Amino acid sequence: MFATLLQKELKSILLSPKFPATFAVCAGLLILSISIGIHEYQVTTRQYETATQMVTQELREQAHWSGVNNRTYRKPDPMQIFVSGVSNDIGRWSGVSQFEPVKLRHSAYSDDAIFAIFRFIDFGFIVQVILSLFAFLFTYDAINGERESGTLALTFSHPIPRTTYLLAKIAGSWLGLVIPLLLPVTVGVLLLVLFRIPFEASHWMKLGGLLGVSMLYFSFFVTLGVCISSLTRRSNVSFLLCLVAWVFLILIVPRVGVIIAGQAVPVPTVAEIEAQQDAYSKDKNEQHMKSMEAKFRDREALMSGMTKEQREQYENDHMWSWMEENDADQKQITKDIEAQGVKLQEDLRNRKALQERLAFSLSRFSPASAYQLAVMSIAGTDITLKSRYEDGLRSYRTILNAFTEKKQKETGDVGGIRITMDSEKGMSISAPKENGTLDLTDMPQFAPPANASVMPVTDIGILVFAILAAFGGAIAGFLRYDMRS
Amino acid sequence: MIRFIIEKELREIIGSTKFAVTFGVCSLLIILSFYIGAENYRTLVDQHEAAKRENLRQMEGLTDWFAVQQHRIFLPPQPLATLVTGVSNDIGRMIEVHGRGELSADDSRFNEDPIYAVFRFLDLDFIFQIVLSLFAILFAYDAICGEKERGTLKLSFSNAVPKEKYILGKLFGSYLALAVPLLIPILIGCVLLLILGVPMSGEEWARLGLIVVAGLLYFGVFLTISVFVSSLARRSSSAFLMLLVIWILAVLIVPRSAVLIAGRAVDVPSVDEIASQKNRYSSQLFTEDRTKMAGYKPAAGQDDMEKTMADFNQFMQKIADERDAKMQEFSGQLNEQRENRQRVQRRVALGLARFSPSATFSLAVSALAGTSLSLEEEYKEAAVAYQRDYAAFMMQKTGMLTGGRVMMFRSVVDEGKKPQPINAHELPEFVFPKPALAGTVTESLPDIGILMLFTIVFFFGSYLAFLRYDVR
Amino acid sequence: MEQTPATQPMIEALGLTKRYEDETLALDNVSFAVRTGQIYAMLGGNGAGKTTTINIFLNFIDPTAGEARIDGIVTHKEPLKAKAKVAYVSENVMLYPNFTAIQNLDYFARLGGKTSYTKNDYHDVLRRVGLEDEAHTKRLRSYSKGMRQKCGIAIAILKDAPAILLDEPTSGLDPKAGFEFLGLLTSLRDEGKAILMSTHDIFRAKEIADMVGIMNAGKLVMQRTQSSLAGENLEELYLQFMAGSVERAA
Ligand SMILES: Nc1ncnc2c1ncn2[C@@H]1O[C@H](COP(=O)(O)OP(=O)(O)O)[C@@H](O)[C@H]1O
Ligand SMILES: [Mg+2]
Repeated sequence: MFATLLQKELKSILLSPKFPATFAVCAGLLILSISIGIHEYQVTTRQYETATQMVTQELREQAHWSGVNNRTYRKPDPMQIFVSGVSNDIGRWSGVSQFEPVKLRHSAYSDDAIFAIFRFIDFGFIVQVILSLFAFLFTYDAINGERESGTLALTFSHPIPRTTYLLAKIAGSWLGLVIPLLLPVTVGVLLLVLFRIPFEASHWMKLGGLLGVSMLYFSFFVTLGVCISSLTRRSNVSFLLCLVAWVFLILIVPRVGVIIAGQAVPVPTVAEIEAQQDAYSKDKNEQHMKSMEAKFRDREALMSGMTKEQREQYENDHMWSWMEENDADQKQITKDIEAQGVKLQEDLRNRKALQERLAFSLSRFSPASAYQLAVMSIAGTDITLKSRYEDGLRSYRTILNAFTEKKQKETGDVGGIRITMDSEKGMSISAPKENGTLDLTDMPQFAPPANASVMPVTDIGILVFAILAAFGGAIAGFLRYDMRS
Repeated sequence: MIRFIIEKELREIIGSTKFAVTFGVCSLLIILSFYIGAENYRTLVDQHEAAKRENLRQMEGLTDWFAVQQHRIFLPPQPLATLVTGVSNDIGRMIEVHGRGELSADDSRFNEDPIYAVFRFLDLDFIFQIVLSLFAILFAYDAICGEKERGTLKLSFSNAVPKEKYILGKLFGSYLALAVPLLIPILIGCVLLLILGVPMSGEEWARLGLIVVAGLLYFGVFLTISVFVSSLARRSSSAFLMLLVIWILAVLIVPRSAVLIAGRAVDVPSVDEIASQKNRYSSQLFTEDRTKMAGYKPAAGQDDMEKTMADFNQFMQKIADERDAKMQEFSGQLNEQRENRQRVQRRVALGLARFSPSATFSLAVSALAGTSLSLEEEYKEAAVAYQRDYAAFMMQKTGMLTGGRVMMFRSVVDEGKKPQPINAHELPEFVFPKPALAGTVTESLPDIGILMLFTIVFFFGSYLAFLRYDVR
Repeated sequence: MEQTPATQPMIEALGLTKRYEDETLALDNVSFAVRTGQIYAMLGGNGAGKTTTINIFLNFIDPTAGEARIDGIVTHKEPLKAKAKVAYVSENVMLYPNFTAIQNLDYFARLGGKTSYTKNDYHDVLRRVGLEDEAHTKRLRSYSKGMRQKCGIAIAILKDAPAILLDEPTSGLDPKAGFEFLGLLTSLRDEGKAILMSTHDIFRAKEIADMVGIMNAGKLVMQRTQSSLAGENLEELYLQFMAGSVERAA
């Protein structure tokens, strides 16, 4: 029974003119995107390698350890081929030296803005936007279309349970859509192998994860399409509803979520943070000055009745403790200021995290964004990519700085030209000679942060929940469906 | 006769539930995009002001202009840029200006706030390009073959109705019915801009007007394409499918493929390569100068500190100027090479992309909004001009220019005179000229022309196809 | 019905032949004439060529040979002039589903060049074809097939053309509606219209037609006036001609 229904469903999909069109578009797009992704990956990898080599070369030509102006580039990851995420939007490199804080700068898009105009089109995008559209296209008239053509009444003149029929419908459309997805992906995988993209076991697992989540995602759209179809009587109504749902789920909800969060949780800019910090330290210093003045006055007051000798004696006796007191105050202030700095930074981070959490939670009302966030985190190109890299770079910077300091001490040279003017000795210029090339053999190397592939449990949960909800809706609608045409 | 057909078309479209729903959605989106744009603009202005203030504040307490190593300038946010974001979120917004040396922009918005890069923005460009084109298709895909399926085409043509009048009525009627109502949410959006206090100059309103015109023209392209396909297809379902494929091609495939093809066809030396070449050359120049500096002997028997200092400054200035000139020539060459290649690449990419009306539209409106690729160049130019002012100012204050590998620390231990703090506000202010109306119009004109061409071609395409259409 | 041979026929087919692109010979030298005040019933099975004939009169297709004339105007030479004199009811009238009956009527009346009708005229004609008042302002999408057909006939009546072409107009009507429809047709004939109607319905054809033609495989195999059919069993005749075709084909 089920098999017969499923067979009919599959046959009607495979024979409909929709199918070849869908298949051609999906296959063309997926293969195009994967081959472009491979090309991009190769290009960026080459760029990365040359850039890194150049940095090493430059370092080698440097004369002094103090001048080491190291740059570390972000290493391209092959998962970018499938889900580019924010990898083109965030900076490609950061300076790593004593003189500057770690900060990823110059994104690929800001260097070559032409590529930013029309963006990148990747596997994730195609599944999210195109495949969902096709899922609706295949299912919007699943139930009401059959009613209109009278086949529904005919079918149910036979003893067939409604749920069986519904399941066969969903399964049939699902299978019909899996083919346009899986065949080109297989071709894409062959391309990966053919172009010798360094795919390790972990990458294959991630790819498997991507495919799994993608299946879940379009299962949702297939079920939702059938659900809408079984809740409406006429197919042109369900068609319209599907399209509106598509626009909302894919285009509107995700963006609006981020924007609402941006409004609801304002995050202070770096400039504002610095200003706050500054105000705080100014305030502290002023307080300190005031308390110092007050102390002086107190001491003066204490000593006011003394003779000159007594006074000197008193001062001598207390000088040490005064100085200690003063020193402790000073230290306390520095500590306070630092603590405040840390606190402000912490606050900033927390607020940013809060904003992100809110933005993503709101946008997750749409399974489309749950899907997007899921694939990005599986591929490791999600929003945390930047902070992960910057954190990694920061600890590298500490190590590197310690290393250069040590080297500097060993070679006993700070480098640079020093010009000293002295009212007594006149002017002197010291320009140390070249030290020849630097030996970089034991220089610590940056290890790209391990791409901790977190299984996006929440997002998968959301997708499963959405599928169940849509399925429930479909069953509820269909069990009460009026079959008459 | 045409009047009846237009009237009927208006009534049929506007009276349908389909219209009520889709028009509602589109209006909501348009108004939302204006609102988001305005809010976004306010946020950006706040950030911009804060960054500028912070930049000046850091100079507070300095007592010597020598200690001012660099000055940061920021690309000011533009109201139109938040309605049509273009590349404004992708390019660097901050430039560190030194007295000399090359400038490079950094801190793009998406780099600073990658959260916005995840889902991108919901701007007018996006709404028109993606949502409204879909809206046009949705209403016109069955313009002809749907009437055939309903038998109304036969009935209509059992009357003495010339086909040409019918199709003209159909085209104008559906355009009127669909495009003109869109002006309502757009007007509401404009009022919203006023209410939310987005400062727009007269020219900016004019540019916004042109953006809307381009939008309606683009809408017309998709409408005529749909009618065209509808008068080629026998069944409306196949017309819709065909149009969906065309839409995907136009909106998603052609523009991206064009850019990628151009990326492959035209090699542009990467920024890293160039940066490294420059670095190496500059390093080489500096090594040469290092020997010169080491060999510097102050004029013998000078007691006057001031004089010695001035002499030395002059010397340093001279070699720095020479070095700068050489460096400028060298990097000028490299940059020009890269820019030339980039220009060729862009021409190829955009030329190919213009096969898609969506890309053409996007280029037209980003030109009008001042967020096209030329924004990057204009910003650089303005920055270079500013650098000259800044250099002149610093020259006047300190007698020398820093930057390009030289850093000055002057630690004067003297005189007990309390040094006067510098007034940071004396620094020349960076102003980014708003793109002129005439310039943006000229830039967008070819694209608007292409959009018109598309409309005309598909208009006549539908006309001719319909004349040969079998109404049975 | 008295006929004046001097007047030229309103609807006239002269040696009409139609061969489709796929070589199907749909019409083979068909000639007939319908005068004002006459009803001509074209009988024939599916695929006999009835719709093809009517389509040629409306210039939806060109004849391969021969001519179709409306009031002496050759339809494929001066289609617009000819169509101004024809009202048409198609086999399956769908109309605009989002419009009410009145709105549909108004639009098609205007297309037919009749711009002076008032709302009341529309109500009148809808009543005349048998549509209840409360249905007049309902959208067509809620109409049954019979109601739509009545609406289509109302449109034809409003056009007030001297010639009326009907392609299987009774196919979706229930017996009562079919009966009322025949009354409508006779009243139109009495107003002086020339009516060409294709149908499967032998009994009704015999009842009201002034002239009956039987088509089979593109040929007009029989043509008789009502008076000459008076005593005969049309059903038998019809079956005979059909059977004859089988013999001929064999
Ligand atoms: N567009 C066409 N192309 C080819 N053959 C056609 C076409 N339309 C009708 N026919 C053929 O012409 C013949 C007459 O059809 P038609 O006039 O529709 O018959 P009727 O209306 O009497 O049922 C049939 O054999 C049919 O298959
Ligand atoms: Mg027929």
